[in-house]
Amino acid sequence: MSNAVRPALTARRPGGPGTRRRPAGYAALAAAVAVMILPLVWMMLASFKEPDEIYTVPIQWLPAGWDLSNYAAALERVPFGAFFANSLLVTVIGAGLKILLGLTTAYALVFLDVPFKKVFFAVVIFALLVPQQIVIIPNYTLVAELGWLNTYQGIILPGLASAFGTFLFRQHFLSLPQSVMEAAVLDGAGHLRRLFQFVVPMSAPTIAAVALVSVVNEWNEYLWPLLVVDRAEMMTLPVGLTLLQNNDGVTNWGVLMAGTVLITVPVLALFFVLQRRIVSGLTAGAVTG
Amino acid sequence: MNKRLAPAVAAAAPAGGLTRRSMLALAGLLGGTAALAACGGPSTAGTGGAMETAGTDWASINAAGKITWWSNHPGASKPIEEELIRRFTAKTGIEVELVTAGADYDEVAQRFQASAGTNNVPDLVGASDVWWFRYMINGQILPVDDVAAHLGIETADYNTGLYNDYEFNGNHWAFPYARSTPLFYYNRDLFAAAGLPDRAPKTWEEYNSWAPALAEANGGAVPMALGSDTSWSAWWFCNIMWGMGGQYSKDWTLTLDDPRTLEAGEFLRGMIHERRSVAVSAADYVADFTAGVSACTIASTGSLSGIMEAAKFDVGTGFLPEGPAGPACPTGGTGIAIAAEKSPEQQLAAAMFLQFIGEPEQTAYFSANTGYMPVRTSAADGAEMQAVYAKAPQFRTAVDQLGTTRVQDWARSFVPSGDQHLTTALEKIMLQDTPAAEAFAAASDAIAKSFEQNVEPYL
Amino acid sequence: MSSSTLSPPGQAAASGPGNGSARAGMPPRRAEARRPDARRRNKPSNWLLFALLAGPNIVLLLVFTFKPLLQSLYYSTLQWNIGSAIARPVGFRNYTDWLTAPGTPQVITVTLIFTLATVGGGMVIGLALALLLNSRLKLRGAARTIVVAPYVLSGVAVGLLWLFVFDPNFGVTSALLQAFGLSSPDWYNDPGYALAMVIIVYLWKNVGYVALIYLAGLQAIPRDLLEAASLDGAGRLRTLAGITLPLLGPTTFFLSVTTLLSSLQSFDIIQAMTRGGPLEGTTTMMYQIYQQGFVAGTAGYSSAIATILFLVLLAVTLLQLKFVERKVHYS
Repeated sequence: MSNAVRPALTARRPGGPGTRRRPAGYAALAAAVAVMILPLVWMMLASFKEPDEIYTVPIQWLPAGWDLSNYAAALERVPFGAFFANSLLVTVIGAGLKILLGLTTAYALVFLDVPFKKVFFAVVIFALLVPQQIVIIPNYTLVAELGWLNTYQGIILPGLASAFGTFLFRQHFLSLPQSVMEAAVLDGAGHLRRLFQFVVPMSAPTIAAVALVSVVNEWNEYLWPLLVVDRAEMMTLPVGLTLLQNNDGVTNWGVLMAGTVLITVPVLALFFVLQRRIVSGLTAGAVTG
Repeated sequence: MNKRLAPAVAAAAPAGGLTRRSMLALAGLLGGTAALAACGGPSTAGTGGAMETAGTDWASINAAGKITWWSNHPGASKPIEEELIRRFTAKTGIEVELVTAGADYDEVAQRFQASAGTNNVPDLVGASDVWWFRYMINGQILPVDDVAAHLGIETADYNTGLYNDYEFNGNHWAFPYARSTPLFYYNRDLFAAAGLPDRAPKTWEEYNSWAPALAEANGGAVPMALGSDTSWSAWWFCNIMWGMGGQYSKDWTLTLDDPRTLEAGEFLRGMIHERRSVAVSAADYVADFTAGVSACTIASTGSLSGIMEAAKFDVGTGFLPEGPAGPACPTGGTGIAIAAEKSPEQQLAAAMFLQFIGEPEQTAYFSANTGYMPVRTSAADGAEMQAVYAKAPQFRTAVDQLGTTRVQDWARSFVPSGDQHLTTALEKIMLQDTPAAEAFAAASDAIAKSFEQNVEPYL
Repeated sequence: MSSSTLSPPGQAAASGPGNGSARAGMPPRRAEARRPDARRRNKPSNWLLFALLAGPNIVLLLVFTFKPLLQSLYYSTLQWNIGSAIARPVGFRNYTDWLTAPGTPQVITVTLIFTLATVGGGMVIGLALALLLNSRLKLRGAARTIVVAPYVLSGVAVGLLWLFVFDPNFGVTSALLQAFGLSSPDWYNDPGYALAMVIIVYLWKNVGYVALIYLAGLQAIPRDLLEAASLDGAGRLRTLAGITLPLLGPTTFFLSVTTLLSSLQSFDIIQAMTRGGPLEGTTTMMYQIYQQGFVAGTAGYSSAIATILFLVLLAVTLLQLKFVERKVHYS
């Protein structure tokens, strides 16, 4: 494992792959980083600009001042605090339950012996192929009938089922060495203990991968919350953000970009803090299987 | 209200590729969930059509104590709307819950249509020019004539054009609220630099004769940049088209092949591709204008305050240029409709709120603070508006222009996707130099089909 | 479908030679409970436990995926305006209408271009980035974080932010091009450029994910294998084509399935940037489903398009599975 996570520690033999063409490599790396980061910088700069600084030819790169009036305007026009709390709640609960459902389902599919397991697995696989958009109208009607519009369960439940996670976890569980499970059985561990004390710790990389995708998807989900929520105090960040787009008037890009900063920065910060874990989890998984 | 019966298909739900045996195995898991899931969806049992006038005896109804209003706060009007509500509650004791149901008219309309048959229907809903008819054929809104008569609403004092925009089959289906028209905006500094009079051109021909001087005064830039978005270009084009005697449709008859309609299309095409007196904005026509990139533009009256704020130069406004057939101007913006499926008590309270915000004083308050048209004739001439005109004479132009407005052609405002198809046709003309006959013919076919399928069966 | 045909990234090279010391020398036994154990199979406690563990998820799938899928199939045979309580059965008319509509060929073309460019382009660029990030360059850890970062951002926010970057008059691209004496393409008004614009933005946002998964796959390739190849004097390209790519086969397959699914369902970037325009030049099937269902309000027609998209997706995925069963064998 260590040689994959920290390849820098392995002896650098001359002539090994990657030692040649260093300058070109650095140039490519710098270009990639620039392309990824410059739009974000531009967004930051614009969030400090007044309309007449944005609509000028030639372009004005830096804002005249660094006051927070656009942020104040964005926060005043829409309840960003509520958006943020809603997004956080929906993401934590939605992604958390989704991972749990995926783990338990995959465990049942792999380690429990019941007839028709294949059928249940087929249900999961088939669900992977159903685009969200095909089910959106019936699901909307159902959620509305249940009186779940503008509720957290209405936002979370329809997308809660884990197909992707179950599928990945199952594949991973199948690859676990049987000796471990046999040891667990000898240990007298019940199924739940086997799952959470033996299987889960050995699946950290796959869980990291599924968690990354689930959290990102929940946080950024747009179409579904757009439909089931119409009260500003229940909106998530992506839905609330569009409220800043003006109609019948002039779009104030400074304010809109301030809103965009408010929605992107928390998730970027979280990612930067956790990225080592996520990325090394993912890459370590490649080695430990 | 029609009962929303679940189609038979719901009972077969778990069958997704499963065998009979495994279905039995699933039965235990499903429990009551399948039953729970078996609701929703339309019924194919009824015959359809707009909701009939309910025939409610309004005199016997007591107004409800609380109603809900779905708005998108047009023109960033949330504080103004809250103030109107405060005044209404102080006067009547009826509470109004203001809900931000979307960022624009389309989002409000999407949510309102999707809410049909659920317990989430608001009492009052924004009904923009291209949406109220859809609500009506869905049976979602109440004709307001009876309740207006009962409450003694002075419908005659409403601007006739603005009120009659909501008329169909002898009934009115909404009250005008945040109503706008397109307006000609010009850069007075650039007009002066070009040696032109300080006014909007009287006709399109006059504009075309001014264009070369304007271009020269502004570094060769095409003097007018227009927007080509959906819900926009097919709206301002009414001015050119009607001004030349053409129209999209006459009642339900499409007239997109009418020689005068085609001539208007060709006229627009010529201005863009031959005379180069008009260009399609590369991005945001309002920004182009306020940044001085273009010397003039056509924008909504609702943009007035935003433009005056953003522009560094002296902004002039004027009537839209006339065509050979005279002045012509469409109206737009939104009205407010009352939901059909609410109780008469709720509907009565909702109507009382509409009556209240239609009072000249409230109308003037809303207009003065947003830039939308005062929808009541007495309000337009009232003291509050006079004060506004004194401060911003540009606003006066917008109100005066109301005299030249007319009701929109049904092909655009009543047929689902009608505006979309017309926008595509205009985009072909403006962006791809497609002959008007070809572009309009395609739109005509598509609109005819949409009418046949989505409107005709419901009339 | 066995574990050897379709592996998630974590197992990309699990059965490759020389790794996983815990398992060294073990036959590839599976942990799955073996079938012949007939006595235990029908124990009620097993059923109960299965229902407890897998039940909630299966029920959710049935209620919120399978039931609405069938409902949607039914709606696709109706003339039904959303918001209306009334619908008329029209058989397959919605399907024939879509197949014969004059705009349909363009929608199919746009969908194909968008999908191929985002899936294919994403995999090529993602692999290149992964190779770059896997080489021994300093600061590649920080670079890796930055490259992946856009993936975690909201599509709506990304769309708005890029809309502002691409503004032909006031945007960054325009200013940069002017510095080279070029004028900005008409990103908003030219259907071709608009499509390119949404593809670029989609790639910008999602290519980090592809790179990350490929990176995981690359790091699982035993270094001595690559070094042996380079001692053999194999050129970089030959090593890439002969060793690296085949070993990445399962990762590539995994990515092709997942990125195809997300590309075909992408909505937020198009909604935030172009709303399907200009001239419907960025209207993909996905976007058309939304537009017909919720903007035009023709829910039956929309359901028919959704059904067609679903069938295409199903067919493509089955083909991918079939292909992979034959081709991806490397152990």
